[in-house]
Amino acid sequence: MWQYEKKLQYPVKIKNPNPAAAKVIISQFGGPDGELGAAMRYLSQRYTAPCPKVKAILNDIGTEELGHMEMICAIIYQLTKNLTPKEIKESGFDTYFVDHTTGLYPIAASGTPFSAEIFQSTGDPIADLSEDLAAEQKARLTYDNILRLVDDPDVRDVIKFLREREIVHFQRFGEALRMVTDQLDSKNFYAFNPSFDK
Amino acid sequence: MNDRAKLLKTVQCYSFAMLEASLFLDTHPECREALEYYNKYKKLCEEQKRLFEEKYGPLTMASDANSESWQWANGPWPWELCANED
Repeated sequence: MWQYEKKLQYPVKIKNPNPAAAKVIISQFGGPDGELGAAMRYLSQRYTAPCPKVKAILNDIGTEELGHMEMICAIIYQLTKNLTPKEIKESGFDTYFVDHTTGLYPIAASGTPFSAEIFQSTGDPIADLSEDLAAEQKARLTYDNILRLVDDPDVRDVIKFLREREIVHFQRFGEALRMVTDQLDSKNFYAFNPSFDK
Repeated sequence: MNDRAKLLKTVQCYSFAMLEASLFLDTHPECREALEYYNKYKKLCEEQKRLFEEKYGPLTMASDANSESWQWANGPWPWELCANED
């Protein structure tokens, strides 16, 4: 069960609309390494995690990712406020606008809609946590690329906060993976799947 | 920054300190120092939330700020306030 808190995790307060920036940042909503996929990945994987602490970290990071999805959507919402048809055409935002106006729809920057095919939930904790480590790095590099493309300090400040969270999550998932392997045969971690074999 | 945004930012700071400590505690549950840090910011966060809610309405549906009249459904919603709309 979740309870909503009527606040963002970190303030999003953007002065100037910029639909071209919104068009690339939306990848962190519905793209291959975005926050929606991150939340769904961890919240799906948690059920079969092999011990309570690993369940806790998947549950709690998955929940934080929902808050990050909300922050990315807040950025896009604010960057696309009060646009004129001329601004929409000139910025290249027209290809999104034609289907969604300024509504929030989860897609990658290239236009591919969000798909559950971008993540896995394998029921094998070593495979799942290894994917989670890679996912945090891929989200981190996407934020690095966004920082290469976006100049507005109001936007960059929030993107830098989100980038930093990926690094902290990578650290916590590394600890979770070590907890799993510490419980296994050090000569062969793969001798059995602690989430399935008894 | 107006008074509402300032009060909310302090809530956000304390909540974030709690969240960061909670993830650390998930993988280091025996760490007394982290637990003390968590408890310190939990207390500060509760006080700050009360101050915010008395003036600007509920942060959660179960808040006392909702008991006299149903304020939950009032705006602004968190994503709405751009920098020039405070």
